[in-house]
Amino acid sequence: MPEIFINGKPYQAEPDQTVLQVCRENGIYIPYFCWHPQLSVVGNCRICMVEEEGRGVDIGCNMPVKAGMRVLTESDEVKEHRKAILQFITLNHPVDCGICDKAGECVLQDYHYEYNGAPSISSDPKVRSTKFYDLSDRIVLDNERCILCSRCVRFTSEISKSCGLGIEERGDTSLVRPSTDGSFRNDAYSDNVVDICPVGALLSRSFFYKSRVWYLQTTPSVCPGCERGCSINVWHRKQEWHLQSLDTAENTSIARVTPLENMAVNGPWICNKGRDLAKIFERKRAEGAMAKGKPVSLAEAIAAARQLIVGAARPVALVSSWGSNEELEAFRSALGASFTSRVKADHQPEPGEVVEDDVLIRADKNPNSARARELFGTAPAVIPADADLVLVWGEGCDFSKIPAGARIILLGSYLAPENGHADVFLPISIQTERNGHYTNFQGVVSGFEACFPKAPGVVDAEAVFAGLGGAAS
Amino acid sequence: MKHLIPEFEELKKRLPPGKNGTLVLPCLHRIQDDRGYIADEDITGLVEYLGVPRIQIEEVLSFYTMLRRKPIGRWHVQVCRNVSCSMRGAERLIDHVSRHLGVKPGQTTADGRFTLSTVECLGSCGTAPVVMVNERYHELQDAQSLDKLLGELTQQ
Amino acid sequence: MTGRKILMDFEVTPTSHTLEAYAARGGYQTVSRVLREMKPTDVTKEVTEAGIQGRGGASFPAGRKWQVVDPHDGEPHYLLANADEGEPGTFKDRWILENAPHKLLESMLIAAYALGCRNTFVYIRGEFDLPYRRLQAAVEEAYKAGYFGEKILGSGFSCDIYVFRGGGAYVCGEASSLLASVEGIRGYPRNRPPRLTVKGLYQCPTVVNNVETLSNLAWILRHGAAEYRKVGTPKSPGTRLISISGHVNRPGVYEVELGYPWRKFLDEDCGGILGGRKLKAIIPGGISSQVLPGETAYELMLSHEALWDVNSSLGSGGMIAIAEGTCMVRLLQIMLRFYHHESCGQCTPCREGMGWAHRVIDRIVAGQGRPEDIDTLIRISKFNDGTTICGLGDAAGYATVDFIKHFRDEFEYFIEHKRSKNDGRLECLPEVANA
Repeated sequence: MPEIFINGKPYQAEPDQTVLQVCRENGIYIPYFCWHPQLSVVGNCRICMVEEEGRGVDIGCNMPVKAGMRVLTESDEVKEHRKAILQFITLNHPVDCGICDKAGECVLQDYHYEYNGAPSISSDPKVRSTKFYDLSDRIVLDNERCILCSRCVRFTSEISKSCGLGIEERGDTSLVRPSTDGSFRNDAYSDNVVDICPVGALLSRSFFYKSRVWYLQTTPSVCPGCERGCSINVWHRKQEWHLQSLDTAENTSIARVTPLENMAVNGPWICNKGRDLAKIFERKRAEGAMAKGKPVSLAEAIAAARQLIVGAARPVALVSSWGSNEELEAFRSALGASFTSRVKADHQPEPGEVVEDDVLIRADKNPNSARARELFGTAPAVIPADADLVLVWGEGCDFSKIPAGARIILLGSYLAPENGHADVFLPISIQTERNGHYTNFQGVVSGFEACFPKAPGVVDAEAVFAGLGGAAS
Repeated sequence: MKHLIPEFEELKKRLPPGKNGTLVLPCLHRIQDDRGYIADEDITGLVEYLGVPRIQIEEVLSFYTMLRRKPIGRWHVQVCRNVSCSMRGAERLIDHVSRHLGVKPGQTTADGRFTLSTVECLGSCGTAPVVMVNERYHELQDAQSLDKLLGELTQQ
Repeated sequence: MTGRKILMDFEVTPTSHTLEAYAARGGYQTVSRVLREMKPTDVTKEVTEAGIQGRGGASFPAGRKWQVVDPHDGEPHYLLANADEGEPGTFKDRWILENAPHKLLESMLIAAYALGCRNTFVYIRGEFDLPYRRLQAAVEEAYKAGYFGEKILGSGFSCDIYVFRGGGAYVCGEASSLLASVEGIRGYPRNRPPRLTVKGLYQCPTVVNNVETLSNLAWILRHGAAEYRKVGTPKSPGTRLISISGHVNRPGVYEVELGYPWRKFLDEDCGGILGGRKLKAIIPGGISSQVLPGETAYELMLSHEALWDVNSSLGSGGMIAIAEGTCMVRLLQIMLRFYHHESCGQCTPCREGMGWAHRVIDRIVAGQGRPEDIDTLIRISKFNDGTTICGLGDAAGYATVDFIKHFRDEFEYFIEHKRSKNDGRLECLPEVANA
């Protein structure tokens, strides 16, 4: 366990660590662009240079620790050096901040402010390059802003393994470009390059010009796209930036989804499906209780449902694998005894969707199958032919498979024709409207928090179960 | 490029086993010797033969100046413009051959015979100015000798 | 006569490069003896004691590089001869490839034996024409005679050699970039650590040596380190091939015993400066070495230490003589254009700096220079000093700083008067032709 000195203080290091790693572990900040904890070390940005007493400056990300070494991270030479590197990086970097989505979360902006702040000493025009280059239909590349840190290239080579990106040409005309075999377009993890790009060179099409990041806040959540349950941040408008007029739907919409680093589940990555959660959560909502298609009040609907449950001889429930641990427990305690319960796969893989891979994506496209099966068993979601009441909770039920004479109680969130055919329909809240937990396929429990108030007319499933419960007794 | 595969297999005999990456440049050189440039289908074939990612071949093609993805004239006239050659008249030579052929460096004559390029040091400084035509070095060139050479090449 | 000869120790004829001629001069007898009588570590010891310094540019002692490699560690090791020879002004390795390829091959066998290399490569720049053909022919001759392949000369040592053609990139003369090229990817140099002698080609211990450095080994192992030490100076043992070009009457490749007087070399052996002109400046070892005023060169002897003392270096052995009347600003312009074209683009200071310096000097030469431009060029050079992944950025910086240091007046003149103090002249032509 070598001991090294940083800025005069002693620190314990592991024998195979670099100076940068030791600094990070001990809260000493060294700037870096190209280094990333999950990617190989390339040492090309040169801004992480530190001074080793008696030996001059060298990059910290590739500097192995040696017992007794004395490192300075804020010496005059290091500071001059950072200024110089920033001069070079901003030499041809366009001053696009006013129109660049990255503003507010841009590493280059932060470092320029922190370490340089000086205007360019060059009086020559900047080198121009390609702007608005479509790397795929999801990602836009601006080569002028690119600082050629190669994080995106290394990501596709080492993490997603699509080998979708590379650097072509040489020198200051080098360009990040996609492979012409379309492997970047087909890379299910492509959008992670937007997160790791330290500048506004790689931007998400779906977030393009949508909002300034300082108008947004994040709420931690769990991606429901598959049983991996990656930790995510859901971005939405801050309370104080809520629109009072114009399109107030902006106030309750998902601006974007990014990974929330969780070393136990997904590291700092998510797949593209997680980015597109608005596609799932912002479908048209069911907003009123109904009885056979006729709008009724919630109380009337609950009462009707209770009647059906009391009067059923062989009631069957299809339990949602999108129910949270709390909702599943509420169902079990209120209605578990009254129903023969089967766990339903609310979602199946769509055509063209990656089914499973060895990175993150799992074949089971539901976030809480594990807990649901734990409580309600692993029998397939087949409805016995003699069932006379079917309670369908959530999506994914094939209504043609419900026996002809059976009555239907349907708990659903989204507008669907089946809602009108059910004997009782109850509109329930979605994940972004409440707090809860999911258990992933490895048994890891992750929590999500409410981002938005419940849509009008919508009620929590837990409240429904409480209202329906005790019907049998 | 499939007809070249038996040759590529021969090359493996003097190389450490299992290192397909090492065959990338040799194969690309051979393909270019054969076709005159490297076509998209050559890249596809090479990717399949070597099992390397396509982006690797595309990066290599754009990085190394000798490799090209488009055909050029029958004779590639490359004049060195670096220090020693410039000190012995390369700039005048480039002007001269440019006027003689009627093209600027980087262009090909209309009849497709000659492509003119300026290149960096070819390692022939002692016999400057040097002109490389396809794979051959022509040293100690001046306007006269170059005119003569181009005349001979026009006949071929 | 420029001192004792080690490499150019035979008469060059139309057939002197063949195996037959080489064998008649005693060729391949040394490696025969080495394989029979010496242990690999003995060979390394001999090379280290001889003290031969790298002749590719960095002058790093070869023995010290070799000592890191343990021939018995059970890992594959690789030896590569660097024949990329792209440093402008340098054309001496090609002399060896064209005229004495078997010296290189025999020396590589000795080196491969010492370092435990089953596979060796000669990385030759893709543009080379006759040197490549002669080298490839020599390799075939050597294989046919049993000097490469399995169990060479009845020993347990097997070795293969592959002549690997580069694709046209100056940066691939840098050892780690060379290895990247051999691995089939873009020629991006790598950071150290790890040293290449620890993790090099395919992440295995690798030694990259210059062609000339290696070609000396056959002589060193034949005559012994002590004999080698008798040649040259104590701090610069041996001889060096100097390729001289530019404004001299007899440009070409000369083998010079280290310690030889520079003035004698220029005035006698190279026939003096064109047109009897004064020597204005001289680039000693490739454009990446620091330029010296003519008077300084005349006072020195040709050795590593003499040039290090004046903050320059023998570098790659590519000497360029510059006569009175040459425009130094235009010369620097050509050099910066070269570095800009050849920068691989990986690291920030070189990628941006080369383009920036090139644009500044282009502007000066176009008559649009500004007073602060000289300072800018110096600042770019200083920002590249010791901050880059490989030496390309530093080299451009050193060249720029020393051109300005010794010829600042020309740069100032160009900026102020919007034209060259020397009419933009690069050639050394008779007065009449300079219209």
